[in-house]
Amino acid sequence: MPNEQHIASAFDRDLEAIQAHIMKMGGLVESAILDAARSLEMRDEELANDVRNRDRAIDRLEVLINEQAAQVIALRAPAASDLRTVLTVLKVSGNLERIGDYAKNIAKRNSVLVQMSQMEGAPSDIRRMAQAVELMLKDALDAYIMRDVNLAEDVRQRDADVDQMYNSLFRQFLTFMMEDPRNITACMHLHFIGKNIERMGDHVTSIADQVIYLVTGDMPTDVRPKQDLTSFMANTKEN
Amino acid sequence: MNDMRILERDVTTNTIKFAGRDVHVFYGETEAIKGIDVDIEDNTVTAFIGPSGCGKSTFLRCLNRMNDTIDVCRVTGNITLDGEDIYDSKVDPVQLRAKVGMVFQKPNPFPKSIYDNIAYGPRIHGLAKTKADLDEIVEKSLRRGAIWNEVKDRLHAPGTGLSGGQQQRLCIARAIATEPEVLLMDEPCSALDPIATAQVEELIDELRANYSVVIVTHSMQQAARVSQKTAFFHLGDLVEFGATNEIFTNPKDPRTEAYITGRIG
Repeated sequence: MPNEQHIASAFDRDLEAIQAHIMKMGGLVESAILDAARSLEMRDEELANDVRNRDRAIDRLEVLINEQAAQVIALRAPAASDLRTVLTVLKVSGNLERIGDYAKNIAKRNSVLVQMSQMEGAPSDIRRMAQAVELMLKDALDAYIMRDVNLAEDVRQRDADVDQMYNSLFRQFLTFMMEDPRNITACMHLHFIGKNIERMGDHVTSIADQVIYLVTGDMPTDVRPKQDLTSFMANTKEN
Repeated sequence: MNDMRILERDVTTNTIKFAGRDVHVFYGETEAIKGIDVDIEDNTVTAFIGPSGCGKSTFLRCLNRMNDTIDVCRVTGNITLDGEDIYDSKVDPVQLRAKVGMVFQKPNPFPKSIYDNIAYGPRIHGLAKTKADLDEIVEKSLRRGAIWNEVKDRLHAPGTGLSGGQQQRLCIARAIATEPEVLLMDEPCSALDPIATAQVEELIDELRANYSVVIVTHSMQQAARVSQKTAFFHLGDLVEFGATNEIFTNPKDPRTEAYITGRIG
Protein backbone atom coordinates (compact mmCIF):
# COMPACT_ATOMS: atom_id res chain seq x y z
CA MET A 1 0.00 0.00 0.00
CA PRO A 2 1.46 3.32 -1.00
CA ASN A 3 2.35 5.57 1.87
CA GLU A 4 1.91 8.76 -0.04
CA GLN A 5 -0.97 10.99 0.88
CA HIS A 6 -3.99 11.43 -1.31
CA ILE A 7 -4.15 14.61 -3.32
CA ALA A 8 -7.54 15.12 -1.67
CA SER A 9 -6.33 15.28 1.92
CA ALA A 10 -9.88 14.99 3.26
CA PHE A 11 -9.89 11.46 1.84
CA ASP A 12 -6.92 10.58 4.06
CA ARG A 13 -8.67 12.09 7.04
CA ASP A 14 -11.83 10.07 6.34
CA LEU A 15 -9.93 6.80 6.07
CA GLU A 16 -7.85 7.56 9.15
CA ALA A 17 -10.96 8.42 11.14
CA ILE A 18 -12.62 5.12 10.26
CA GLN A 19 -9.52 3.16 11.11
CA ALA A 20 -9.23 4.99 14.41
CA HIS A 21 -12.78 3.86 15.20
CA ILE A 22 -11.76 0.27 14.41
CA MET A 23 -8.86 0.54 16.82
CA LYS A 24 -11.06 2.00 19.51
CA MET A 25 -13.60 -0.76 18.95
CA GLY A 26 -10.80 -3.34 19.08
CA GLY A 27 -9.62 -1.98 22.43
CA LEU A 28 -13.13 -2.16 23.90
CA VAL A 29 -13.58 -5.71 22.64
CA GLU A 30 -10.20 -6.84 24.00
CA SER A 31 -11.04 -5.59 27.47
CA ALA A 32 -14.53 -7.10 27.22
CA ILE A 33 -12.98 -10.54 26.57
CA LEU A 34 -10.55 -10.27 29.46
CA ASP A 35 -13.09 -8.83 31.90
CA ALA A 36 -15.70 -11.43 31.01
CA ALA A 37 -13.20 -14.22 31.71
CA ARG A 38 -12.00 -12.52 34.90
CA SER A 39 -15.54 -12.02 36.17
CA LEU A 40 -16.06 -15.75 35.69
CA GLU A 41 -12.94 -16.73 37.57
CA MET A 42 -13.45 -14.20 40.37
CA ARG A 43 -17.22 -14.78 40.51
CA ASP A 44 -17.50 -11.02 40.22
CA GLU A 45 -21.09 -10.21 39.32
CA GLU A 46 -20.49 -6.48 39.25
CA LEU A 47 -17.73 -6.81 36.66
CA ALA A 48 -19.97 -9.14 34.64
CA ASN A 49 -22.72 -6.50 34.63
CA ASP A 50 -20.18 -3.92 33.61
CA VAL A 51 -19.14 -6.05 30.60
CA ARG A 52 -22.81 -6.40 29.60
CA ASN A 53 -23.36 -2.65 29.77
CA ARG A 54 -20.23 -1.83 27.82
CA ASP A 55 -21.40 -3.86 24.81
CA ARG A 56 -23.65 -1.00 23.77
CA ALA A 57 -20.65 1.23 23.06
CA ILE A 58 -19.17 -1.50 20.84
CA ASP A 59 -22.44 -1.81 18.90
CA ARG A 60 -22.63 1.94 18.45
CA LEU A 61 -19.12 2.02 17.05
CA GLU A 62 -20.04 -0.65 14.51
CA VAL A 63 -22.99 1.43 13.33
CA LEU A 64 -20.78 4.50 13.09
CA ILE A 65 -18.11 2.63 11.12
CA ASN A 66 -20.70 1.24 8.70
CA GLU A 67 -22.14 4.69 8.14
CA GLN A 68 -18.76 6.24 7.52
CA ALA A 69 -17.66 3.43 5.23
CA ALA A 70 -20.85 3.88 3.19
CA GLN A 71 -20.13 7.58 3.03
CA VAL A 72 -16.59 7.05 1.76
CA ILE A 73 -17.83 4.63 -0.90
CA ALA A 74 -20.54 7.06 -2.01
CA LEU A 75 -18.46 10.22 -1.98
CA ARG A 76 -14.96 9.10 -2.86
CA ALA A 77 -15.37 6.01 -5.02
CA PRO A 78 -12.32 4.34 -3.49
CA ALA A 79 -10.23 2.07 -5.72
CA ALA A 80 -7.50 -0.53 -5.23
CA SER A 81 -6.00 -0.46 -1.71
CA ASP A 82 -8.44 2.26 -0.63
CA LEU A 83 -11.32 0.08 -1.73
CA ARG A 84 -9.84 -2.91 0.07
CA THR A 85 -9.40 -0.78 3.18
CA VAL A 86 -13.07 0.18 3.20
CA LEU A 87 -14.23 -3.40 2.53
CA THR A 88 -11.93 -4.68 5.26
CA VAL A 89 -13.14 -2.09 7.73
CA LEU A 90 -16.73 -3.21 7.15
CA LYS A 91 -15.96 -6.86 7.75
CA VAL A 92 -13.61 -6.31 10.67
CA SER A 93 -16.15 -4.13 12.46
CA GLY A 94 -18.70 -6.92 11.97
CA ASN A 95 -16.27 -9.47 13.42
CA LEU A 96 -15.49 -7.24 16.39
CA GLU A 97 -19.17 -6.68 17.07
CA ARG A 98 -19.76 -10.45 17.14
CA ILE A 99 -16.83 -10.99 19.49
CA GLY A 100 -18.28 -8.29 21.74
CA ASP A 101 -21.60 -10.13 21.74
CA TYR A 102 -19.91 -13.36 22.78
CA ALA A 103 -18.18 -11.57 25.65
CA LYS A 104 -21.51 -10.14 26.70
CA ASN A 105 -23.06 -13.59 26.57
CA ILE A 106 -20.28 -14.94 28.79
CA ALA A 107 -20.99 -12.19 31.31
CA LYS A 108 -24.70 -13.02 31.18
CA ARG A 109 -24.10 -16.72 31.85
CA ASN A 110 -21.81 -15.73 34.69
CA SER A 111 -24.74 -14.08 36.44
CA VAL A 112 -26.34 -17.55 36.57
CA LEU A 113 -23.12 -19.36 37.43
CA VAL A 114 -22.38 -17.24 40.51
CA GLN A 115 -25.56 -18.66 42.03
CA MET A 116 -24.07 -22.18 41.84
CA SER A 117 -21.05 -23.83 43.35
CA GLN A 118 -17.75 -23.29 41.59
CA MET A 119 -16.57 -25.99 39.15
CA GLU A 120 -12.98 -26.77 40.06
CA GLY A 121 -10.45 -25.93 37.37
CA ALA A 122 -12.81 -25.01 34.55
CA PRO A 123 -12.93 -21.19 35.08
CA SER A 124 -9.16 -20.87 35.03
CA ASP A 125 -8.96 -23.04 31.90
CA ILE A 126 -11.52 -20.76 30.33
CA ARG A 127 -9.59 -17.71 31.40
CA ARG A 128 -6.43 -19.08 29.76
CA MET A 129 -8.37 -19.73 26.60
CA ALA A 130 -9.82 -16.22 26.70
CA GLN A 131 -6.34 -14.78 27.17
CA ALA A 132 -5.08 -16.72 24.16
CA VAL A 133 -7.92 -15.32 22.05
CA GLU A 134 -7.41 -11.80 23.36
CA LEU A 135 -3.73 -12.02 22.43
CA MET A 136 -4.68 -13.25 18.96
CA LEU A 137 -7.05 -10.31 18.60
CA LYS A 138 -4.40 -7.87 19.72
CA ASP A 139 -1.95 -9.31 17.18
CA ALA A 140 -4.60 -9.35 14.43
CA LEU A 141 -5.29 -5.65 15.04
CA ASP A 142 -1.57 -4.89 15.14
CA ALA A 143 -1.18 -6.80 11.88
CA TYR A 144 -4.02 -4.69 10.48
CA ILE A 145 -2.46 -1.39 11.47
CA MET A 146 1.03 -2.38 10.35
CA ARG A 147 -0.24 -4.21 7.25
CA ASP A 148 1.81 -7.17 8.46
CA VAL A 149 0.93 -10.32 6.51
CA ASN A 150 3.29 -12.56 8.48
CA LEU A 151 1.77 -11.61 11.80
CA ALA A 152 -1.72 -12.15 10.35
CA GLU A 153 -0.68 -15.59 9.14
CA ASP A 154 0.68 -16.38 12.60
CA VAL A 155 -2.68 -15.42 14.12
CA ARG A 156 -4.50 -17.71 11.69
CA GLN A 157 -2.32 -20.64 12.68
CA ARG A 158 -2.83 -19.99 16.39
CA ASP A 159 -6.56 -20.55 16.11
CA ALA A 160 -5.77 -24.28 16.16
CA ASP A 161 -4.51 -23.93 19.76
CA VAL A 162 -7.79 -22.34 20.82
CA ASP A 163 -9.70 -25.15 19.14
CA GLN A 164 -7.64 -27.68 21.06
CA MET A 165 -8.32 -25.93 24.36
CA TYR A 166 -12.00 -26.07 23.53
CA ASN A 167 -11.76 -29.80 22.76
CA SER A 168 -10.24 -30.53 26.12
CA LEU A 169 -12.84 -28.37 27.91
CA PHE A 170 -15.55 -30.25 26.08
CA ARG A 171 -14.22 -33.60 27.31
CA GLN A 172 -13.79 -32.27 30.80
CA PHE A 173 -17.42 -31.10 30.94
CA LEU A 174 -18.72 -34.40 29.60
CA THR A 175 -16.84 -36.16 32.38
CA PHE A 176 -18.16 -33.79 35.06
CA MET A 177 -21.70 -34.25 33.84
CA MET A 178 -21.45 -38.02 33.80
CA GLU A 179 -19.93 -38.08 37.26
CA ASP A 180 -22.75 -36.08 38.80
CA PRO A 181 -25.92 -34.96 37.02
CA ARG A 182 -26.18 -32.03 39.44
CA ASN A 183 -23.25 -30.55 37.53
CA ILE A 184 -25.21 -30.42 34.29
CA THR A 185 -26.60 -26.87 34.55
CA ALA A 186 -23.25 -25.34 35.42
CA CYS A 187 -21.42 -27.44 32.84
CA MET A 188 -23.85 -26.50 30.11
CA HIS A 189 -23.28 -22.82 30.85
CA LEU A 190 -19.53 -23.31 31.03
CA HIS A 191 -19.59 -25.27 27.82
CA PHE A 192 -21.42 -22.47 26.02
CA ILE A 193 -18.86 -20.05 27.41
CA GLY A 194 -16.06 -22.23 26.03
CA LYS A 195 -17.86 -22.42 22.70
CA ASN A 196 -18.26 -18.64 22.69
CA ILE A 197 -14.53 -18.21 23.12
CA GLU A 198 -13.84 -20.76 20.42
CA ARG A 199 -16.14 -18.77 18.09
CA MET A 200 -14.31 -15.57 19.05
CA GLY A 201 -11.14 -17.28 17.80
CA ASP A 202 -12.85 -17.92 14.46
CA HIS A 203 -13.81 -14.26 14.17
CA VAL A 204 -10.25 -13.21 15.00
CA THR A 205 -9.05 -15.58 12.29
CA SER A 206 -11.44 -13.92 9.90
CA ILE A 207 -9.92 -10.54 10.82
CA ALA A 208 -6.47 -11.99 10.07
CA ASP A 209 -7.81 -13.24 6.71
CA GLN A 210 -9.01 -9.71 6.00
CA VAL A 211 -5.58 -8.29 6.76
CA ILE A 212 -4.06 -10.66 4.21
CA TYR A 213 -6.69 -9.61 1.66
CA LEU A 214 -6.09 -5.95 2.46
CA VAL A 215 -2.36 -6.23 1.84
CA THR A 216 -2.15 -8.75 -0.99
CA GLY A 217 -5.53 -8.34 -2.71
CA ASP A 218 -6.22 -12.06 -2.36
CA MET A 219 -8.00 -13.98 0.35
CA PRO A 220 -5.92 -16.83 1.76
CA THR A 221 -7.12 -20.00 0.08
CA ASP A 222 -5.19 -22.66 2.01
CA VAL A 223 -7.16 -24.87 4.36
CA ARG A 224 -6.22 -24.24 7.95
CA PRO A 225 -5.94 -27.34 10.12
CA LYS A 226 -9.29 -27.58 11.91
CA GLN A 227 -8.86 -28.65 15.48
CA ASP A 228 -12.41 -28.38 16.73
CA LEU A 229 -13.24 -32.08 16.69
CA THR A 230 -16.14 -32.03 19.12
CA SER A 231 -18.69 -32.57 16.37
CA PHE A 232 -17.28 -36.07 15.97
CA MET A 233 -17.16 -36.96 19.67
CA ALA A 234 -20.03 -39.26 20.57
CA ASN A 235 -18.91 -40.03 24.07
CA THR A 236 -15.80 -39.65 26.15
CA LYS A 237 -15.03 -43.35 26.44
CA GLU A 238 -13.90 -43.46 22.83
CA ASN A 239 -11.57 -40.56 23.35
CA MET B 1 -24.20 -25.26 -10.75
CA ASN B 2 -24.84 -21.80 -12.12
CA ASP B 3 -21.82 -19.64 -12.45
CA MET B 4 -22.50 -16.71 -10.14
CA ARG B 5 -19.65 -14.50 -11.19
CA ILE B 6 -20.26 -11.16 -12.82
CA LEU B 7 -20.22 -12.18 -16.46
CA GLU B 8 -21.14 -8.88 -18.02
CA ARG B 9 -17.48 -7.99 -18.38
CA ASP B 10 -16.55 -11.19 -20.11
CA VAL B 11 -14.53 -10.80 -23.23
CA THR B 12 -15.81 -13.39 -25.64
CA THR B 13 -12.99 -13.20 -28.11
CA ASN B 14 -9.29 -12.89 -27.96
CA THR B 15 -8.77 -11.89 -31.55
CA ILE B 16 -6.20 -9.16 -31.63
CA LYS B 17 -7.13 -6.10 -33.71
CA PHE B 18 -4.23 -3.81 -33.06
CA ALA B 19 -0.78 -4.95 -32.07
CA GLY B 20 1.85 -2.36 -31.19
CA ARG B 21 5.47 -3.38 -30.79
CA ASP B 22 8.19 -1.12 -29.46
CA VAL B 23 6.27 1.99 -30.45
CA HIS B 24 8.13 5.25 -29.94
CA VAL B 25 6.64 8.64 -30.77
CA PHE B 26 8.71 11.79 -30.95
CA TYR B 27 7.52 15.38 -31.21
CA GLY B 28 10.74 16.94 -32.51
CA GLU B 29 13.30 16.02 -29.87
CA THR B 30 10.77 15.11 -27.22
CA GLU B 31 10.01 11.44 -26.82
CA ALA B 32 6.30 11.26 -25.97
CA ILE B 33 5.97 7.46 -26.13
CA LYS B 34 8.96 5.47 -24.97
CA GLY B 35 8.66 2.11 -26.63
CA ILE B 36 5.46 0.34 -25.71
CA ASP B 37 4.00 -3.03 -26.60
CA VAL B 38 0.25 -3.43 -26.58
CA ASP B 39 -2.38 -5.79 -27.96
CA ILE B 40 -5.88 -4.44 -28.43
CA GLU B 41 -8.55 -7.08 -28.73
CA ASP B 42 -11.61 -7.19 -30.94
CA ASN B 43 -15.09 -6.76 -29.39
CA THR B 44 -13.50 -5.21 -26.35
CA VAL B 45 -13.52 -1.76 -24.83
CA THR B 46 -9.98 -0.80 -23.96
CA ALA B 47 -9.52 2.27 -21.78
CA PHE B 48 -6.34 4.33 -21.73
CA ILE B 49 -5.89 6.20 -18.48
CA GLY B 50 -3.08 8.30 -17.08
CA PRO B 51 -2.25 11.85 -16.08
CA SER B 52 -2.10 14.65 -18.64
CA GLY B 53 0.94 14.43 -20.87
CA CYS B 54 1.42 10.71 -20.26
CA GLY B 55 1.08 9.86 -23.94
CA LYS B 56 -2.29 8.17 -23.98
CA SER B 57 -3.87 10.48 -26.57
CA THR B 58 -0.67 10.46 -28.60
CA PHE B 59 -0.76 6.69 -28.73
CA LEU B 60 -4.47 6.69 -29.58
CA ARG B 61 -3.77 9.03 -32.47
CA CYS B 62 -1.07 6.68 -33.77
CA LEU B 63 -3.71 4.02 -34.28
CA ASN B 64 -5.32 5.84 -37.20
CA ARG B 65 -2.28 7.88 -38.16
CA MET B 66 -3.75 11.15 -37.01
CA ASN B 67 -0.23 12.10 -35.98
CA ASP B 68 0.70 12.21 -39.68
CA THR B 69 -0.91 15.64 -39.75
CA ILE B 70 1.66 16.95 -37.25
CA ASP B 71 4.90 17.80 -39.07
CA VAL B 72 7.32 17.32 -36.20
CA CYS B 73 5.78 14.04 -35.13
CA ARG B 74 7.70 10.85 -35.84
CA VAL B 75 6.50 7.32 -35.08
CA THR B 76 8.87 4.34 -34.91
CA GLY B 77 8.24 0.72 -34.13
CA ASN B 78 5.48 -1.37 -35.50
CA ILE B 79 1.69 -1.08 -35.31
CA THR B 80 -0.43 -3.66 -37.10
CA LEU B 81 -4.17 -3.79 -37.70
CA ASP B 82 -5.28 -7.38 -38.34
CA GLY B 83 -1.65 -8.23 -38.90
CA GLU B 84 -0.98 -5.51 -41.48
CA ASP B 85 1.44 -2.70 -40.81
CA ILE B 86 -0.58 0.53 -40.80
CA TYR B 87 2.56 2.63 -41.33
CA ASP B 88 3.45 0.78 -44.52
CA SER B 89 3.96 3.19 -47.42
CA LYS B 90 1.28 1.38 -49.40
CA VAL B 91 -1.39 2.14 -46.80
CA ASP B 92 -3.67 5.05 -47.64
CA PRO B 93 -4.33 6.94 -44.39
CA VAL B 94 -7.79 7.95 -45.62
CA GLN B 95 -8.74 4.30 -46.11
CA LEU B 96 -7.21 3.45 -42.76
CA ARG B 97 -9.31 6.11 -41.07
CA ALA B 98 -12.45 4.70 -42.67
CA LYS B 99 -11.61 1.43 -40.93
CA VAL B 100 -10.54 3.12 -37.73
CA GLY B 101 -13.11 5.74 -36.81
CA MET B 102 -12.53 8.46 -34.29
CA VAL B 103 -14.66 10.52 -31.92
CA PHE B 104 -13.20 13.58 -30.29
CA GLN B 105 -13.49 15.34 -26.97
CA LYS B 106 -15.79 18.07 -28.16
CA PRO B 107 -18.70 17.15 -30.39
CA ASN B 108 -17.79 18.51 -33.81
CA PRO B 109 -20.69 17.94 -36.19
CA PHE B 110 -20.24 19.35 -39.71
CA PRO B 111 -22.20 22.55 -40.26
CA LYS B 112 -24.63 20.53 -42.33
CA SER B 113 -27.89 18.72 -41.77
CA ILE B 114 -28.08 15.73 -39.48
CA TYR B 115 -28.59 13.56 -42.54
CA ASP B 116 -25.55 14.93 -44.35
CA ASN B 117 -23.38 14.57 -41.28
CA ILE B 118 -23.93 10.83 -41.44
CA ALA B 119 -24.06 10.55 -45.23
CA TYR B 120 -20.77 12.37 -45.82
CA GLY B 121 -18.42 9.48 -45.08
CA PRO B 122 -20.39 6.78 -46.93
CA ARG B 123 -20.63 9.13 -49.93
CA ILE B 124 -16.92 9.86 -50.25
CA HIS B 125 -16.05 6.22 -49.68
CA GLY B 126 -18.67 5.15 -52.23
CA LEU B 127 -20.48 2.88 -49.80
CA ALA B 128 -23.96 3.67 -51.18
CA LYS B 129 -25.03 3.25 -54.78
CA THR B 130 -28.51 4.68 -54.52
CA LYS B 131 -30.37 7.23 -52.44
CA ALA B 132 -32.27 4.35 -50.82
CA ASP B 133 -28.98 2.73 -49.79
CA LEU B 134 -27.80 5.97 -48.30
CA ASP B 135 -31.09 6.47 -46.45
CA GLU B 136 -30.65 3.02 -45.01
CA ILE B 137 -27.08 3.68 -43.88
CA VAL B 138 -28.14 6.95 -42.26
CA GLU B 139 -31.00 5.33 -40.39
CA LYS B 140 -28.91 2.35 -39.31
CA SER B 141 -26.05 4.53 -38.09
CA LEU B 142 -28.36 6.86 -36.19
CA ARG B 143 -30.08 3.87 -34.61
CA ARG B 144 -26.74 2.38 -33.58
CA GLY B 145 -25.74 5.78 -32.28
CA ALA B 146 -28.83 5.63 -30.05
CA ILE B 147 -30.10 8.93 -31.37
CA TRP B 148 -32.49 7.90 -34.14
CA ASN B 149 -35.67 8.41 -32.12
CA GLU B 150 -34.64 11.91 -31.18
CA VAL B 151 -33.78 13.08 -34.70
CA LYS B 152 -35.85 10.98 -37.10
CA ASP B 153 -38.37 13.80 -37.63
CA ARG B 154 -35.77 16.46 -38.28
CA LEU B 155 -33.08 14.78 -40.34
CA HIS B 156 -32.64 17.89 -42.45
CA ALA B 157 -32.24 20.26 -39.53
CA PRO B 158 -28.64 21.36 -38.86
CA GLY B 159 -26.60 19.01 -36.70
CA THR B 160 -25.23 21.95 -34.77
CA GLY B 161 -28.74 22.65 -33.44
CA LEU B 162 -28.71 19.53 -31.29
CA SER B 163 -27.79 19.49 -27.62
CA GLY B 164 -24.21 18.65 -26.64
CA GLY B 165 -24.99 15.05 -25.75
CA GLN B 166 -27.01 14.58 -28.94
CA GLN B 167 -24.21 16.12 -30.99
CA GLN B 168 -21.73 13.68 -29.48
CA ARG B 169 -23.98 10.73 -30.26
CA LEU B 170 -24.39 12.16 -33.78
CA CYS B 171 -20.60 12.20 -34.10
CA ILE B 172 -20.44 8.60 -32.92
CA ALA B 173 -23.14 7.69 -35.45
CA ARG B 174 -21.10 9.53 -38.09
CA ALA B 175 -17.97 7.61 -37.10
CA ILE B 176 -19.71 4.26 -37.43
CA ALA B 177 -21.46 5.13 -40.70
CA THR B 178 -18.41 4.05 -42.71
CA GLU B 179 -18.54 0.63 -41.05
CA PRO B 180 -15.22 0.95 -39.25
CA GLU B 181 -13.71 -1.97 -37.41
CA VAL B 182 -12.27 0.03 -34.59
CA LEU B 183 -13.60 3.12 -32.90
CA LEU B 184 -11.17 5.45 -31.17
CA MET B 185 -12.63 7.86 -28.65
CA ASP B 186 -10.61 10.67 -27.17
CA GLU B 187 -12.40 11.86 -24.03
CA PRO B 188 -15.81 11.46 -25.64
CA CYS B 189 -17.77 12.48 -22.56
CA SER B 190 -15.74 15.27 -21.05
CA ALA B 191 -18.04 17.94 -22.46
CA LEU B 192 -21.24 16.11 -21.57
CA ASP B 193 -23.57 16.14 -18.59
CA PRO B 194 -24.06 12.96 -16.53
CA ILE B 195 -27.20 11.86 -18.39
CA ALA B 196 -25.61 12.28 -21.81
CA THR B 197 -22.48 10.59 -20.44
CA ALA B 198 -24.52 7.61 -19.30
CA GLN B 199 -26.16 7.41 -22.73
CA VAL B 200 -22.81 7.48 -24.49
CA GLU B 201 -21.41 4.87 -22.09
CA GLU B 202 -24.39 2.64 -22.73
CA LEU B 203 -23.80 3.12 -26.43
CA ILE B 204 -20.12 2.20 -26.08
CA ASP B 205 -21.12 -1.01 -24.38
CA GLU B 206 -23.51 -1.84 -27.23
CA LEU B 207 -20.93 -0.99 -29.87
CA ARG B 208 -18.58 -3.53 -28.36
CA ALA B 209 -20.63 -6.29 -29.98
CA ASN B 210 -19.45 -5.16 -33.41
CA TYR B 211 -16.34 -3.12 -32.89
CA SER B 212 -13.19 -2.87 -30.97
CA VAL B 213 -13.42 0.37 -28.98
CA VAL B 214 -10.46 2.27 -27.56
CA ILE B 215 -11.31 5.13 -25.23
CA VAL B 216 -9.05 7.71 -23.66
CA THR B 217 -10.55 9.11 -20.51
CA HIS B 218 -9.56 11.23 -17.57
CA SER B 219 -12.44 9.85 -15.58
CA MET B 220 -11.22 6.73 -13.86
CA GLN B 221 -14.75 5.89 -12.92
CA GLN B 222 -15.67 6.00 -16.58
CA ALA B 223 -12.80 3.67 -17.47
CA ALA B 224 -13.97 1.35 -14.70
CA ARG B 225 -17.57 1.49 -15.91
CA VAL B 226 -17.16 0.95 -19.64
CA SER B 227 -13.98 -0.99 -20.28
CA GLN B 228 -12.92 -4.61 -20.12
CA LYS B 229 -9.24 -3.81 -20.45
CA THR B 230 -7.40 -0.85 -18.98
CA ALA B 231 -4.00 0.49 -19.88
CA PHE B 232 -2.28 2.89 -17.52
CA PHE B 233 0.20 5.29 -19.14
CA HIS B 234 2.68 7.34 -17.19
CA LEU B 235 5.41 9.62 -18.60
CA GLY B 236 5.33 7.92 -21.98
CA ASP B 237 5.47 4.38 -20.62
CA LEU B 238 2.74 1.81 -20.59
CA VAL B 239 2.99 0.98 -16.90
CA GLU B 240 0.29 -1.61 -16.60
CA PHE B 241 -2.18 -3.21 -18.97
CA GLY B 242 -4.72 -5.74 -17.82
CA ALA B 243 -8.31 -6.64 -17.00
CA THR B 244 -10.16 -3.59 -15.74
CA ASN B 245 -11.43 -5.23 -12.58
CA GLU B 246 -7.88 -6.29 -11.71
CA ILE B 247 -6.50 -2.82 -12.31
CA PHE B 248 -9.14 -1.23 -10.09
CA THR B 249 -9.12 -3.74 -7.25
CA ASN B 250 -5.57 -5.01 -7.15
CA PRO B 251 -3.13 -3.25 -9.47
CA LYS B 252 0.33 -4.79 -9.66
CA ASP B 253 2.41 -1.65 -10.16
CA PRO B 254 2.69 0.89 -7.33
CA ARG B 255 2.44 3.74 -9.86
CA THR B 256 -0.92 2.43 -11.08
CA GLU B 257 -2.07 2.10 -7.49
CA ALA B 258 -0.95 5.64 -6.69
CA TYR B 259 -2.72 7.04 -9.73
CA ILE B 260 -6.06 5.31 -9.43
CA THR B 261 -6.29 5.96 -5.70
CA GLY B 262 -5.63 9.66 -6.29
CA ARG B 263 -2.12 9.91 -4.92
CA ILE B 264 -0.22 11.18 -7.96
CA GLY B 265 -1.59 13.56 -10.54
